[in-house]
Amino acid sequence: MLGYLLRRIGLAGLMLFGLVCLTFVISNVAPSDPAALAAGPDAGRSQIEQARRDYGLDKPLPEQFLRYLTDLAHGDFGRSIATGRSVGTDLARYFPATLELVILAMALGVLLGVPLGVLSALRKDGPADHATRIFAVSGIALPPFWFGLLLQLAFATWLGLLPTSGRLSVFTEPPPPITGLLLVDSLLTGNFGLFREALSHIILPAIVLSLPCLASILRVNRSEMVEALRMDYVTAARAHGVTPWRIVMVHALKNAMLPTLAIIGLRWGWMMSSTVLVETVFDWPGIGLYAVSSAIAGDFKPVMGVTLIVGLNFMIANLIVDLLYGVLDPRLRRA
Amino acid sequence: MTQDISRRGLMAGAALLTAGMPGIGMAFERDGNRKVLVFSGNQQVPVLDPHVRYDWSTRMIQQSVYDALLKYEGDPPRIVPWLAERYEVSPDGLTYTFHLVGNAKFHNGDPVDAEAVRFSFERGLKLNAGIAWMLKDFLKPENIAAVDARTVRFTLDRPFAPFISYVPWWYVVNPRQVRANQDGDDLGRKWLTENAAGSGPFRLRRFDANTLMHLDAVPDYWKGWPMADADRPSGIIYRIIREAAPRKAALQRREADIITNLTPDDIEQLSRVPGVVVENHKGSTTFGIKFNCQQGPTADINLRKAIAYAFDYDSLLAIHNGAAVLMTSPFPASMAGHIDVPGIPRKDLDKARDFLRRSRFPNGGIELEYVHVQGLEDARRIGLALLDSLRALDIRVNIVGQPWPTMTSRGSKPETSPNMMSVYVTPVGTDPDTVAYQYHRASWGLYYGTAHYENAEVSRWIDEARGETDNAKRMALYARIQTQIVADQPELFGMVANRIWARRDYVQGFTFSPVRFTGEIDLYPLWARG
Repeated sequence: MLGYLLRRIGLAGLMLFGLVCLTFVISNVAPSDPAALAAGPDAGRSQIEQARRDYGLDKPLPEQFLRYLTDLAHGDFGRSIATGRSVGTDLARYFPATLELVILAMALGVLLGVPLGVLSALRKDGPADHATRIFAVSGIALPPFWFGLLLQLAFATWLGLLPTSGRLSVFTEPPPPITGLLLVDSLLTGNFGLFREALSHIILPAIVLSLPCLASILRVNRSEMVEALRMDYVTAARAHGVTPWRIVMVHALKNAMLPTLAIIGLRWGWMMSSTVLVETVFDWPGIGLYAVSSAIAGDFKPVMGVTLIVGLNFMIANLIVDLLYGVLDPRLRRA
Repeated sequence: MTQDISRRGLMAGAALLTAGMPGIGMAFERDGNRKVLVFSGNQQVPVLDPHVRYDWSTRMIQQSVYDALLKYEGDPPRIVPWLAERYEVSPDGLTYTFHLVGNAKFHNGDPVDAEAVRFSFERGLKLNAGIAWMLKDFLKPENIAAVDARTVRFTLDRPFAPFISYVPWWYVVNPRQVRANQDGDDLGRKWLTENAAGSGPFRLRRFDANTLMHLDAVPDYWKGWPMADADRPSGIIYRIIREAAPRKAALQRREADIITNLTPDDIEQLSRVPGVVVENHKGSTTFGIKFNCQQGPTADINLRKAIAYAFDYDSLLAIHNGAAVLMTSPFPASMAGHIDVPGIPRKDLDKARDFLRRSRFPNGGIELEYVHVQGLEDARRIGLALLDSLRALDIRVNIVGQPWPTMTSRGSKPETSPNMMSVYVTPVGTDPDTVAYQYHRASWGLYYGTAHYENAEVSRWIDEARGETDNAKRMALYARIQTQIVADQPELFGMVANRIWARRDYVQGFTFSPVRFTGEIDLYPLWARG
């Protein structure tokens, strides 16, 4: 088990290195001049050259890459060219907002997707199955930014029930962070007003973010359940007089959960990257928004930082899924 | 029947979902018994340091927390005394002496004295970023002197007539606070990115680069307030909402009191909303299509002229729903010295064909690239109008949207600069030099110099006008400069689009000044009625 774990971690490390190389190359292939960006719109040549020296952009690319790698190894993501701020500090500031959004969206996806998948498998080809199928297909097909705008129009503009965007009302100062997750922090400090406010802001973006995830969990879980319910052990259990509830929840679902888990792992990474769209629509101050505003400005260090964080999330999520596989399926433990 | 049930179910679901949500959508927020106004735009404020960066949103906040020696106000813009109560210029145009008011205080209580002014200009020049380009070729840091506590003297290397027009953008920082927060020899650059050390009407309460800025009004601001004491707001929040639809929704729901970054299409829609007033003012941001004057087909002046005469200028007005005026000179009309250049091209296909015949491409048959900022719908539609217009000359247009950093990088060299590139330019002051200098040889490769236009005589006139102390002679020079630039047609002179804001009708004190950037307004005189 330990060897397996070490192998997986080693592999993740290699992938991370590949990702670093890739992001570095992509950012430097882009035909823009970061020094001109740093110096400002009306800057003359001397100012641009000074900015180039300040940010070490006058060095040859291999040297810049080596420096980037060394800095990364020390946990330094470099400096944003547009703001001069440390990208690491910015990431630490914005990541909790994204994490909170993704956790809630994932919770929605799993808590609704799995039961609905089970339900539609049990009522295969019945009205419930058709309804969830339509729901799932549209969930995957709806572009998140469009769906987000639609929800804003409905719940914020027409019904006036929820705020349009942001993480808190502009008049509320966020409390000093404990975990950085507002919902958790407000509960920890017993500030229920703040909890309600944070919840009202996070609901719409979380729904938008969770929809594709919910839909794919639902579909995968349904087909796996249909498969599992056909198995001999289910027939055997039924013959032994095991209660239907136990058959579904313990015998079938446990087996159906394996591929579902894989999907959850993948979706975690996907969600981290789709925050780019959702956070822009809802002005959610997370790493997605940070990446977008930096990319538009041609500021690549933050984009590289966010890419690494998202990549890291992909890897960790899949690592955890692999380990959970071992827990759920004893055969894998021996292999 | 089933429909009824499902609808009821849906409503119940929605009610459940939103149960216990806080009530939202009140009139302006109150802080104690004073109001907090909310202004919303699409652009963040990445760096607050007044000597490092400026753009419309950044400068709006800088103008609120800092003061300068002079200030721009009104339409047409006037330069009014601010930290300086008066100034004198020596007859040779080299020495500027400013006399400071006696009562100005920084937010921490320190007096704004001559040393603070000297330190601030020196800092701006030394950092060599942001605003430095305005003065650095004419003013050396050691030639700024604090004569006594209330007198500052600037001695220029050579006469520079636009000097005064740039002074309002040089904000004064508190040297004591800056030195206390210095990191190495960075002159407080790191600290001032997110903090302020000013004397302005507002104090920085919260700085969240990606979300909002919260400013608190300084009750005993040294200059006083323009509204009655009871009406003075407690503060102003600049809230960043990136997408247009939620920003408009925020105004309708009174989550925001003023918004900007509106399109011409929004004017009609928003002016129908009860309680909303649209501010629609003639701007100063010029739109032009820069030709590459050095390389490719557009290096041929006859082809440039042919394009300029073939273009359908009315399409510019149509695209902006009439909220724009055509340019009659390279200078916007709000600029000192602006003249209507006689014979500036308007659509005339006969003339266009005539010029085409004299060019290297008498029958057209070429394709030209038109590059615009990716995602900028107006600029793309203007490209379509160009494509349509040039069909008459059998010239094809390849419309390409690219990110701004890519465009500026391409435009920096004649070899890579596109045949035609659409560029918006907002002049940084009211002095004609700010626009004229774009056509100087020294501006080659900067974003407004992508035409790589060369006319040695024009460059010489521009230099001459910079040093000319006799205003009448200077303006005559600018008239010549404008006429010659139009004759050389380094760009297709387009239009100046209006600046548009929408506000709730209870917002008072809104003042427009074309010298400010696109979405920028002066927050100091704003208050809410009722």
